Amino acid sequence: MSDPSLVLTVVAISVPWFAAIMAAITQRQARALGFSASFISLVASTLLLNTTSASESLNAALMVLFSSVTLGAILVLPRRDCNSPTIGGILFLLGSTLLGYATENLLVLLAAWILTTVPFYLPRLFRALWRPRLSLFISSLALALAIGIIAASGHSLTIHELRGKSPGGIAAFALLVVAVVFRKGICPAHAWVADAIEGGPVLPAALLLNGHFGALLVAKFIVPVFPHTIRNLSPLLSDLALATALYVAIRSLSENAPRRLIAFLALSQSACILAGLESRTTEGITGALVHWIVVSVSTMGLFDVLRLLEVRFGENLTAGTHLGLAGHAPRLAVFFLVFGLALVGMPGTLSFCSQDLLIHGTLQSHPQTGLLLPIAIALNAVSFFRLFTRLFLGKRRTGFTIIADALPREQWILAAGVLFVVLGGLFPNAIVAPRLAQAEATGPPAHALLRRAAMQR
Amino acid sequence: MDLSQALLLFVVLAPGVVFSVISLLWLLGWVPKERVVSGITGIVFAASIFALAAIIWNVGAGPVVIKFRDWFAVGEYHFPLVLMADRLSLPFLGMTVVLSGLIGQFSTTYLHRDHGFLRFYLLLLLFAFGSLLAFAAGSFDLLIGGWEVVGITSVLLVAFFEQRPAPVENALRVFTIYRASDIGLLLGVFAMHQWAGTASFAGGFPQLTATRAAVVGLLLLFAAAGKAAQVPFSGWLPRAMEGPTPSSAIFYGAISIHAGAYLLLRAQPLLAHSGLASALVILIGVLTAIHGTIVGRATADAKTSLAYASLTQVGVIFVEIGIGWAWIAVLHTLGHATVRTLQFLRSPSMLHDYHQMHSAAGGELVQTGKHLRAFFPERFQLWLYRWALDRGHLDTILDRLVVDPLLWLSRIFAKLDGIAFGEITKRHEEPAISLPVDAGVRGN
Repeated sequence: MSDPSLVLTVVAISVPWFAAIMAAITQRQARALGFSASFISLVASTLLLNTTSASESLNAALMVLFSSVTLGAILVLPRRDCNSPTIGGILFLLGSTLLGYATENLLVLLAAWILTTVPFYLPRLFRALWRPRLSLFISSLALALAIGIIAASGHSLTIHELRGKSPGGIAAFALLVVAVVFRKGICPAHAWVADAIEGGPVLPAALLLNGHFGALLVAKFIVPVFPHTIRNLSPLLSDLALATALYVAIRSLSENAPRRLIAFLALSQSACILAGLESRTTEGITGALVHWIVVSVSTMGLFDVLRLLEVRFGENLTAGTHLGLAGHAPRLAVFFLVFGLALVGMPGTLSFCSQDLLIHGTLQSHPQTGLLLPIAIALNAVSFFRLFTRLFLGKRRTGFTIIADALPREQWILAAGVLFVVLGGLFPNAIVAPRLAQAEATGPPAHALLRRAAMQR
Repeated sequence: MDLSQALLLFVVLAPGVVFSVISLLWLLGWVPKERVVSGITGIVFAASIFALAAIIWNVGAGPVVIKFRDWFAVGEYHFPLVLMADRLSLPFLGMTVVLSGLIGQFSTTYLHRDHGFLRFYLLLLLFAFGSLLAFAAGSFDLLIGGWEVVGITSVLLVAFFEQRPAPVENALRVFTIYRASDIGLLLGVFAMHQWAGTASFAGGFPQLTATRAAVVGLLLLFAAAGKAAQVPFSGWLPRAMEGPTPSSAIFYGAISIHAGAYLLLRAQPLLAHSGLASALVILIGVLTAIHGTIVGRATADAKTSLAYASLTQVGVIFVEIGIGWAWIAVLHTLGHATVRTLQFLRSPSMLHDYHQMHSAAGGELVQTGKHLRAFFPERFQLWLYRWALDRGHLDTILDRLVVDPLLWLSRIFAKLDGIAFGEITKRHEEPAISLPVDAGVRGN
């Protein structure tokens, strides 16, 4: 890494951490502090992205994405939630997540992996939820053990030096899979995700999920470093991911709690990312990387709107009956609808392209299990539409004294998110082409092996 | 780009651009007046009609094709962005712009001062854009885009009167059927890419073997049957009548209901390759036509009766397509769409029309099909009546075979999660809700 890149990376990571400490000390101007820090992070990440070549830009692109959604979340955060502990936690999460994205060293990745979970062990932020804590702990422990095995077998701990070497063998691979399963919420370890969203502050929890560290581990480490093992154990992880996508999609059909329902949708859709990454096809990997972006922006948008509804109408919202909130908040209804449709593959949004690529990739690599993907996506669409109709349509509630639709601050940020998913859908090449270069940088060992195996046959 | 190409691009994009601009401005706080919205819509469709007339005037030279760069391309897979106006798509394009413009004008008065006026017009514009995109698509990939836009606008218009629970629940049902049948289209297009390397028909139809053509044909038939409310998916059509009359007219009397037929007409070369697929198209068409005509006779309201009449005609159109009479199917579609739109738009004043007809005829008109009673025993007539009243039990069958098992499975999964891990909250099991009176004062 050249010096300007190093400086930009350090700025992007350290400024949010510094701001988090400032927020804890001063206890004032939390939103301004959060905005400034995340904005600086975003600028630094964007400059970093511009300095790196397309094939090596995955880390920087993820940094831009995460700092953008964090910036949006901080700006949309309702005043009720906008206190120093929450902003501090979000900024700490931002710095730690960017550290995980930026590093090529396994020990630093482990540190970032653990640091991002720290806010969830603080009782002041999260209620005592044993399931998220246990899952995050198991995932951290599994990753630490895997790295320990790799180090004990005498290998370097730098990722690019390990490419194609399958260090630590099957034991390390199995532990890495466990780490991914527990961190990403893959079945049977899926239930903690909904608990975290239900029981904690929704936006920080959504940011934790949208770090997609499980997918990061697969994209950055497992796929390029363990191509032999992936080929031999194929299609273990992607089958698990597809099963999760379908299981959670079916599970969400009878869920009435909006937070849990959106968490299930996010989980099901993000499980598709893993399936694409492990599909070993350029279409699948590119689709997964684009889908990563879509899922992050759309689910953050959905959680943002949901939180805005909760502070306006109370936290006892349910999908069990029609609430008719569109009459009070029509713009929030439209934002919610667009983000939701963008999550489930509506044409004209970026997810249409990402899911098109994902379906092609997974069907090519796993023709039998790949069929589950379009079914899961269709079920998710039905669940989302049910939630939309129950929350926003139906008889208009009366008895409210003051009900605000989206405030200007919220309108502009949510409109920016909507524009991103829609313009991304109309002109997808601007987003797909760089991901293609990244996918080719991620996938070649596996592709080369497959080609070699085909030639031997 | 020559004049015809530019005009075709204008026709397809104009409603989409106007929709996008008005929507974005509204999201940022602007609320346009009724006159502005209806005026802009009228101008867009009037200009589109003239543009399309100019294209039709010049189409003798061959189809108008606009090839852009690939929308996106990854490895060997690419998404071609090709618009095409040929002898098949032009009648459908013409039908869309003329009837959309007509509905726009009609709704200016019909929905005057309705609180959903702007929403209706925005959805009409988006629907027109989706339809035009689907009909002008030069590949099945692009057709999917327009197809799904038509689906979502259709569903949102079914739920137009959102204050009542019935339209909202029916919209959910329609959406579910649409999404389920869209899987067939997605898989069919994927199969074309896998087996033929392309799903584009702008430069000739993808070549497939008979077996593969049958597989793709059946997948497309599944999608077309869902969109066109053919048996066994017919149950959603009467539910869709909850929307405002102008949208019922254009969706279920004219354009959306015929989109399935258009898909099959596009796939005609495939169907011609596969006797099985053609036979199934005919069978579904025949069953739907019989189902529609019997159930339609037992319906109690004008719009539902018209919906089943539409269904019957679309069933016949499917039969024509299955037999291979493509041009008869196109002519049938155009005639049917026009007449049915008129009937739907007149349906609010149907009783008045009937009274006029009765007084002109000097007595009540004789019901069609009354003479058939003589052929059936009374018990069978009663059974048939009950069958027709329950709309052929199609909804019940779909519920029992698909919806209920899925919900049962979902509840089992929920219980499994609860048993294995312990639920942290139980409050959402009860659907009742009481929102705080002053919830909006605090907090934000």
